[in-house]
Amino acid sequence: MSRVLLVAHRDYVQNVRTKGFWFGILFFPVLLSAFIVVPRLLEGTKSARRYAVVDESGWLLDAINRRISVEDLRLALDAAVERAAAPERVAALPAPLRSAAADLSALTSADRMALAAVLADASHEDMLSADARAVHTAHGSALGAWWSTASQASLRALDIPFSFTRYVQLPAPPGPHAAEALGQRVAADDLFAYFVLHEDPVAGVGMSRYVSKNLTDEDLREWFGSLATSEVRERRLERERIDPGVARWIQTPVRFDVRKLSAGGAEESIGERDMLRQWAPVVFVYLLWISVWSVSQMLMMNTVEEKSSRVIEVLLSSVSPVQLLAGKIIGIAATGLTMVLSWLLAFFLATKYLPGLLGASPDLPLSTLASDPLLIGSFLAYFLLGYLFYAAILVGLGSVCNTVSDAQNMMPAVMLVLIVPLLTMVPIGRDPNGALARLLSYVPPFTPFVMMNRAAGPPSLLEYVLTTGLLFASIVIALWAGAKVFRIGVLLTGKPPKLKEILRWIRAPVGMVPVRKEAAQ
Amino acid sequence: MDMSAALALDGVTKRFGDVLAVDGVSAEVPRGTIYGFLGPNGAGKTTTIRMVMSILYPDAGRIRVLGNGNPEAVKDRLGYLPEERGLYKKMRASEILSYFGRLKGMPAGEARSRARRMLGEFGLGDWADKKNETLSKGMSQKVQILGTMIHDPELVILDEPFSGLDPVNVELVRNLILDVKRRGRTVIFSTHVMEQAEMICDGIVLINEGRKVLDGTLREVRQSGEQAIVIDYDGDGGELWRLPGVARVNDAGKTAELFLAEGADPQRLLRLLVDRLEIRRFDMREPSLHEVFVRAVGGRGT
Repeated sequence: MSRVLLVAHRDYVQNVRTKGFWFGILFFPVLLSAFIVVPRLLEGTKSARRYAVVDESGWLLDAINRRISVEDLRLALDAAVERAAAPERVAALPAPLRSAAADLSALTSADRMALAAVLADASHEDMLSADARAVHTAHGSALGAWWSTASQASLRALDIPFSFTRYVQLPAPPGPHAAEALGQRVAADDLFAYFVLHEDPVAGVGMSRYVSKNLTDEDLREWFGSLATSEVRERRLERERIDPGVARWIQTPVRFDVRKLSAGGAEESIGERDMLRQWAPVVFVYLLWISVWSVSQMLMMNTVEEKSSRVIEVLLSSVSPVQLLAGKIIGIAATGLTMVLSWLLAFFLATKYLPGLLGASPDLPLSTLASDPLLIGSFLAYFLLGYLFYAAILVGLGSVCNTVSDAQNMMPAVMLVLIVPLLTMVPIGRDPNGALARLLSYVPPFTPFVMMNRAAGPPSLLEYVLTTGLLFASIVIALWAGAKVFRIGVLLTGKPPKLKEILRWIRAPVGMVPVRKEAAQ
Repeated sequence: MDMSAALALDGVTKRFGDVLAVDGVSAEVPRGTIYGFLGPNGAGKTTTIRMVMSILYPDAGRIRVLGNGNPEAVKDRLGYLPEERGLYKKMRASEILSYFGRLKGMPAGEARSRARRMLGEFGLGDWADKKNETLSKGMSQKVQILGTMIHDPELVILDEPFSGLDPVNVELVRNLILDVKRRGRTVIFSTHVMEQAEMICDGIVLINEGRKVLDGTLREVRQSGEQAIVIDYDGDGGELWRLPGVARVNDAGKTAELFLAEGADPQRLLRLLVDRLEIRRFDMREPSLHEVFVRAVGGRGT
């Protein structure tokens, strides 16, 4: 084995044995799993908000409950459409939804809403558009039967955010003292809140009431309130003899069909996946930042350790400083790659299989991201390039330090540079081909992070070529300068030199050693 | 066998900025000997040694190591213990020894088995699988020196091998050095403590302020100076300076080295001494290296 590889091998083996390395390996998967698992667990354990309603009007609560049912059914229909694209996810749906999925996809969301209303017996078939009516004719009876008989448990298993997974309505006790009885139950934490609906909500003269101990969590009130508002609004329109269809038409907002112009110039309609794609690079920038920073810092600390334990000159009797430097850079790069690849693997496996293990359908958009060649490819490439750039600088700085605290004193300066890509991460994510993004792409210390950030753009091929070329040239210069400082720095004891002194070493011709007096014995 | 000198320096010069660290040093170290590079701190010993190890490069002059004009080419046949030395704290003793061996070009298996054998031979068998940070100072010093010998080098160079060691470990290192010589190898070590060199060196190179002051076998070097009178005594050492006929005194408190003025009589000196101090030994012999050195550099002490 060549000397360089021997050094690399030792550094790799020794680093892999440290606790810090395993912490790094586990950090991301644990974080990711927590990200996927914890919300689901919380959802499972979180007691749904229990509430009760005293309906003084005598009709509003029933109307609201019909709306809740329609709304939940619409969620089921929408889920069927969303999952229609992925065969393995469709398979998990109940038979009526599965067979209707393709036809439902052809409907607009307004049509699906109307269809849900008809299926839940809240509206008449005449209200449907021709398309929706066709779907109703073909699948209506099967869907209606399924919806009216499906158990809550079977619906829960579908992993659709039905309202009853969040809010559970309990019957209010009859009689004039219902509110007081409910108040006691709220005080005893048996109920989260209760509503008292006004006797004539349509008139709009008096107020309904919402009573709870918790006034910071307003989800329940807003959800229930908006359902009540919609119902009351419809009644008022009816009273004024305004056709609900007309009213709906009047209230329809101006809608935009959002499309994305691809690099080829073709328009594509966008979905959830595209939004995710737009923002996924930001996640990768975070990962890139953490990995480049921690791995090049590992190299620096390794060098400082060799100096402070004074083993470095022993090594120099067998290898040249350049061989030692190359070996260290390769060894730590291998350590870093092991870490980063394990992260990617964990990302891939976790998004693909973890939800399945928990009994939920796989998180498809996330797992396509985890295997997206452009994202993964640029992540790995920019990890290596970014690492080489910062490694060259940090190893030079590390070589002039004799103790860990010397090294820590130098960190703020490096940090000041590295903070920039973090600060610009969101603005660049929002405008991946804007002036700021373009400009920063050409600043070598930022290139890896900014270009990763822009992956959703994506930048043009020319930009990739130019920025990578510039970064590459900078890496060569940084490695050359780092090696020069390293050759001198490793033999240095005592106080670390000033930046000015280091710059003088870099300018001095190779072989010339302008060491200070105290080192010249 | 190649009978050229183990090391030949010819006008070797090294400059650090304005400082002339090594100034035209020429010297020769024959094979199979123990040679001391002596001189005070800052004399240029470490810089000279670093040039021999190709860690630094001379500005002028030539260095031949094991008969090769390019020291870099024979690096694997050298063993080197720098003045600034240490071990990877988290590695095991046997691991770091075999790593050093492999860096010198030994095959992995051979380096491993030799590392274990050496640790066993030198009483560290039980520590072979312990992390270096658990070793005592003496033990890690031993491991470091074994590290310079793992690949059985033809020339071992030790920079200040005795510094910071207690007498037991000094003894131990001295035995290690003698052991290398017994196996027909060459040892060069640097020290600023002349007594260390006196005990085991076949020859010395005296360096001061970057220049070679003198070199040769220990015998040659000593005979070049005048005879010394060595006494062991109790009493007030200040008396020694006031004795008539004494030119110079190297007083160590209980023993002293005296040099007579031109034409003075040793017998008369003995009588004078006995009157004034409790004399336990009175001996005439070659001067100490300390004296030789002090003479050579013109009165500057070590």
